Amino acid sequence: MKYRSEKPSRHVLQKTGPLLFFLLFCFATVLNAQKGTAITGNVSDDKGVPLRGVSVSVKGTTTATLTSEQGTYHITAPAGATLVFTSVGYTSEEVRVGDQPKIDVTLRSAATDLNEVVVVGYGTQLKKDLTGAVSVVKAADVNKRQATTVAEALQGLATGIKVRGGGRPGSEAQIQIRGLKNISNSNPLYVIDGLITTANRDFNPEDIESIQILKDASAAAIYGSRAANGVIIITTKKGKSGPMRIDASAKYSVQTMPRYKLAETDEFKRLNYMAYDNANVPRQQLDTMVNTNWQDEAFRQGNIRDLNLSFSGGGNNGSYFVSGGYFGNKGTVISTGFDRYNLRVNTQGTKGIFSIGENLAISNAKTDEMGGNPVIDVIRLLPTIPVYDDTHPGGYGYGDERKARTFGTNPVAIADLINETNENLRLRGNLWSELKPFDFLTYRLNLGYETSRDHYKYFRKLGNWTLNQPYDPAIANENRAESVTKLIENTLTFKKEFAKHDLTVIAGQSFQRDDYAQIWGSKRNVLQDASGHYYDVLDQGNEAQLGGFRERVALISYFGRVEYAFDDRYLINGIVRSDGSSRLGTDLEWEQFPSVSAGWRISKEKFFKADWINDLKVRANYGTLGSSNIGPYEPDAVINTLPTIAIGKDQHTAPTAIQVQLTNPYLVWEKLQQQNYGFDATLLDNRLSFTAEYYIAQTQKVLYRSPLLYSSGHDGLAPFVNAVSLENKGFEFTIAYRNSIHDFNYNAALNVTTVRNKVLELAYGKNELYVGNTVTRLGQPIGMWYVLQTNGLFQSQDEVANYKNAEGKVIQPDAKPGDIRFVDNNGDGQITNDDKAIVGSPWPKLETGLNLGASYKNFEITMDWFGSFGSKVFNGPRSVTDRFDDNSNYRAGIQPWTPENPNTDMPRVLYASTLNARGDTERWLENGNFFRLKLINLSYRLSDAFVKKIGFEHAQVSVSGQNLLTFTPYSGLDPEFSNTSIFEKGYDFGAYPNVRMVTFGLNFGF
Amino acid sequence: MKKIVIVIPLLILIISCRKSLLDQDNPNRLPVASFWKSEDDAQKAVNSIYAMFYQNGGWNRWIYFRLDLTSDEGMSKSPWVELADWTRFQYINYNFWEGNANTFKDIFKAVFRCNQVLKFVPDIPFADEAKKKAVIAQAKFFRAFYYYYAAILYENVPIILDPHLDDPGFLPQQNTLAEVWAQVEKDLTEALPDLPETWDDANVGRPTKGAVNAYLARTYMQQHKWPEAKTALDYFITGAGKGMYELVDFKENFRSTQENNKESVFEIQFSDANKTGEGDGVNANMGTNRCQFFAPRGIGWSDGQARFWLVQEFKKEKTIDDGIDPRLRYSLFYPDLEKDFGDKIYGRSWEWNADEAWFKKYSRDYYRSNEDYFSEVNNRLVRYADILLMYAEVLNELGQTAAAVPYVNQVRTRSKMAPLAVAHPTAILGKDSFRERLKIERALELCGESVRWADLKRWGDLDTQEKVNAVAVRDPDFKNFAIGKHIRLPIPQTEVLNNTNLKQNPGY
Repeated sequence: MKYRSEKPSRHVLQKTGPLLFFLLFCFATVLNAQKGTAITGNVSDDKGVPLRGVSVSVKGTTTATLTSEQGTYHITAPAGATLVFTSVGYTSEEVRVGDQPKIDVTLRSAATDLNEVVVVGYGTQLKKDLTGAVSVVKAADVNKRQATTVAEALQGLATGIKVRGGGRPGSEAQIQIRGLKNISNSNPLYVIDGLITTANRDFNPEDIESIQILKDASAAAIYGSRAANGVIIITTKKGKSGPMRIDASAKYSVQTMPRYKLAETDEFKRLNYMAYDNANVPRQQLDTMVNTNWQDEAFRQGNIRDLNLSFSGGGNNGSYFVSGGYFGNKGTVISTGFDRYNLRVNTQGTKGIFSIGENLAISNAKTDEMGGNPVIDVIRLLPTIPVYDDTHPGGYGYGDERKARTFGTNPVAIADLINETNENLRLRGNLWSELKPFDFLTYRLNLGYETSRDHYKYFRKLGNWTLNQPYDPAIANENRAESVTKLIENTLTFKKEFAKHDLTVIAGQSFQRDDYAQIWGSKRNVLQDASGHYYDVLDQGNEAQLGGFRERVALISYFGRVEYAFDDRYLINGIVRSDGSSRLGTDLEWEQFPSVSAGWRISKEKFFKADWINDLKVRANYGTLGSSNIGPYEPDAVINTLPTIAIGKDQHTAPTAIQVQLTNPYLVWEKLQQQNYGFDATLLDNRLSFTAEYYIAQTQKVLYRSPLLYSSGHDGLAPFVNAVSLENKGFEFTIAYRNSIHDFNYNAALNVTTVRNKVLELAYGKNELYVGNTVTRLGQPIGMWYVLQTNGLFQSQDEVANYKNAEGKVIQPDAKPGDIRFVDNNGDGQITNDDKAIVGSPWPKLETGLNLGASYKNFEITMDWFGSFGSKVFNGPRSVTDRFDDNSNYRAGIQPWTPENPNTDMPRVLYASTLNARGDTERWLENGNFFRLKLINLSYRLSDAFVKKIGFEHAQVSVSGQNLLTFTPYSGLDPEFSNTSIFEKGYDFGAYPNVRMVTFGLNFGF
Repeated sequence: MKKIVIVIPLLILIISCRKSLLDQDNPNRLPVASFWKSEDDAQKAVNSIYAMFYQNGGWNRWIYFRLDLTSDEGMSKSPWVELADWTRFQYINYNFWEGNANTFKDIFKAVFRCNQVLKFVPDIPFADEAKKKAVIAQAKFFRAFYYYYAAILYENVPIILDPHLDDPGFLPQQNTLAEVWAQVEKDLTEALPDLPETWDDANVGRPTKGAVNAYLARTYMQQHKWPEAKTALDYFITGAGKGMYELVDFKENFRSTQENNKESVFEIQFSDANKTGEGDGVNANMGTNRCQFFAPRGIGWSDGQARFWLVQEFKKEKTIDDGIDPRLRYSLFYPDLEKDFGDKIYGRSWEWNADEAWFKKYSRDYYRSNEDYFSEVNNRLVRYADILLMYAEVLNELGQTAAAVPYVNQVRTRSKMAPLAVAHPTAILGKDSFRERLKIERALELCGESVRWADLKRWGDLDTQEKVNAVAVRDPDFKNFAIGKHIRLPIPQTEVLNNTNLKQNPGY
């Protein structure tokens, strides 16, 4: 603790007006204070920033006050008394009152993040004052990982966040906050520097200053109708006052694809002949001289080069931040890649009561797209097929009717014959200005603009990649599109403290318009010269096709929030948002989304005496959120005039027009009603913290494309209808501990999330819904596995003959020893669809993240683990390698049933028979548990003396590994796969796996 | 707090203009409310029913798997086992899209289009009332047409006569086969007077009185209503249609060179003008995929091929000049094609097994060495030769066997086959023997033309185990055939589960 003698506070002198206000309101308090010396002073943190709301009390008395916004306090205390300064998140200080009239105090930040400023949408709150579920993720944690998108980087860093996907160059991960709230789209809303957008692949994660995740209704309600799936608020970096700072970082990663263990020609031949022989089909003439490893052909070592450079700085009245970056990813599959260039300029300035600033990001991203699905192709192609074959058009090897009967596609051929790229230039930015006529009142105007110019290009050369492929000439296809989002927002913020009352009121209005337009064209028989070169532009070729369309949506919103705190003990927040969307039917556009939340800081109560608890807060909230995440013109019934017919003797083309799709014109807002109960506690001198939450979320009138009957005559995607209700319930629990012993610091945080979803109502009054191998029933989770049950293998013909139902009917009369015994659930003596049963859930019962970190002197090590437990998943690739009825490569070491090898769970192999291979059985379901080391990072900060010598300010080297270690019983490539169909979440169709990655990083500043 | 009070009027100011901002009209599509106003609208709407020929579930692709491959004429050796299983009565997953659901769905999509025309066109003013009637009659014809195939394939389907545009969740009632037939008869009977004998050049391809009578006859025949069937067919023989149709060069029934010729009673107009995907998109494909799926291995997908007994049947009888039945040359790809007639197969000599054959009708090997998804060769749904054989069958069933013989002979004569009395003297002696001979005559003339499945059902060849065993001699797939069950397809399982008014077909 330091005393600062007599230096007058600049804040007090400069802004006496507000101080007078403050004095007025504090008057009563001051008057009632005990007789003694009037003492005044400033309280600031160790960086010199004034601290408001610090409790200043006279030890042993009831005399107490709070510091003002400027950190100033006034108190009367007798000489010799002790003043106690306490504030949540800071170490308490005690100062003996001597004869000095002014006591300035510096509070040291406790090792906790409670004083973190949290962006909560149209404003900020201190973390300790939160009454809703908000997670804060720090840039440092995100940037330790090598990720293309923000979503990919978030896994395991916050509770209740589930991220799947990524891996493929330029692909975007799916992110789900607290389970499924709606069926059509589970992506949360992204707000980047106040601009409502998506943090897609165009956004450079290096620009992130902080991420806040608004998880419950009370927190997210300020974004009303679009917040049902949660809100991710990203704040980008700003310049800090001081001389120009230059930061640079370079990361290089090596990526490798997980591999299948597949048979080579010898083993393949033996098994393939066995399958043909068992089926009494003449063997095919396998080309046993060939032994192609298709994984070697299709997969390769990928890499990422991620380079960033930023300049930032500022003075008292302004700051700037300029960054540029390049991100290049050579994919782990041949002929795939992703390149991105980023530029960002964030500036702000202040003059008197007026401030202005802008955030602008420009990016250009290009993806070399993957053709076909090599993850499946490498198993569908036989090792006896050569990569190249001159006898085929195009010169590539693939299936052959006599030698290798498979319809797998040759990934090397596709990589050469199809060029597919996706490129876009995006400008994203906002311009804001603030007027602060009074200390307590701020008016803010925010103008946002975002545009993306997209260019998709597809070119197909002559040649084939699969058996019996229909002839196609060289085809060129391109489309160009542009999207534009405009946002205008006005907000007014009133923020004031009256004695122990702390009030913030925000009111605002927002208007957003999104436009999208696209044109496309294609040509066939594109010109090729004698050397084989193609002129792949749309001027060339013939049989042109072209088209185009445009869309526009508008959203108008009014919103307000009241935050009230009394004495830091009682916290109440109220929010209401009113949204009108052009997506919904006439007169049904508007809806209100209110929420209320309250917190009680028990630790601040007088009766609370547990010294070992530094802070304890309980909170509860209830709120409503909405969603209208549907196409721009869904309620409108339209006439389709696109196809033509040929008619007449000359077979001329004649127009058609008809309504093809049914619609529901009376669509209304989908609403999420959520209750949330939680507590936050920090104890043992802020070393240990707990957060626990329980939530119940009901989504009503989910906008969902509930399937229509075929007999309705409707075609295409089913129309949206408001008729599903879902419930999500779950716990979230976080425990974190941190401590330091001399130079050794360590921390550990464990978070655990459970979610259970339940269907309360289905569209059109139905009780169940079938999609693929799943059933969705009222009262149960979405998409439960619904398949035939199996009960081992028949070991003998006697067993087949004795497998009868109650009436004595032989259930599987055609079975042979080695075939699967299916369960005749309805006892009718035959195996049909009616015997299917629910055999498991694709949803994990529990997901957990474990973050460990330690540092010693200049070394730092962190580890992030992620685990998922209790789900049952469908191994699609195994249903290919193990089926044998259709040719594909087989798993190495597979042990099918034979009379000599009866002790196996793998049935006898049989070509061209679905007897054992059918896809709708329990056979392909596996335990989806896994526990994975998502990240391990080791960094070393070069000694200051050394870096200064070479002209740097600071420098750090690091090495990290991602997905290096996975514990799982799952036999597929990656238990952490993603499937975009909500009903088949647990179906691994051969998803692009998460790649293993080792990254070397260097960052330095000067 | 006062500031907030001041803000409120401001907000109200902004609210006042909100209405227009939220009214975003669809710039891409015509709203239904602006349609169904003019003659032109009606014409385009009825055209959209023809566009259903170009969709996957119907005559663009999958229905051939049901009508040709499931019958004893065809088979599948597809490595796509499920696809092949659906041609041999091994129906496991009733929702199997390619084998079942797609066809079921497309039938009802077509009915939906017909129902829209029938609901709205009556209220549209036309300058020429006859044109309006013809539009309505086309819609009725096609509603009957699609229900005819629904009856052949599924039998117990819901009859839907209204588009239910405001009620997407509508659950129709199930109807019996008899009710479906009654509806088909009603629609065809109503369509008949309002359709012309022939269309002008610009409209060739639309159904004529001949087309209606042909389907009316088929409908009656399936129900064994022989006198009614005769009345319908009399149109061609003694009625207004007499002399309008004649037999042409056999091969010209299966090529694009002489489409809509004198033999054609009703045919689908396929075109390769749009080389795009099928469906409802911009300039959707107007061709057929049939031959890409049916061409021999190495040329097409070869998901369907012909049974070899057809080749043997052709070879049983020589022409009057001791040649091989010339119909074989244009009906099938078979091992001796090159030896017998000097024709290669898509430019290749036979490279397949000695007991294999593929359907040649509609193939384009007469001018190219491969296939694709855009075949322009029209599908002759009904041709005059079929009418003659149908007429013969009806007369025979009515006990007029002797009168029936000349109609079969007309068809045989075109292909230089001797009259029945010479070639098969016993066949003309009795009703039953004539019927048995007619079954073969129909196979030789019409194999691969998607009529065989209805023929087998009509003849009762699938009604007893003994008869099925006889069919199974020609096509071993029929060993899987369960009497009373496989005579009709299962209704897609999701349709049954999602419509509580619907029962799955018996046995499934």
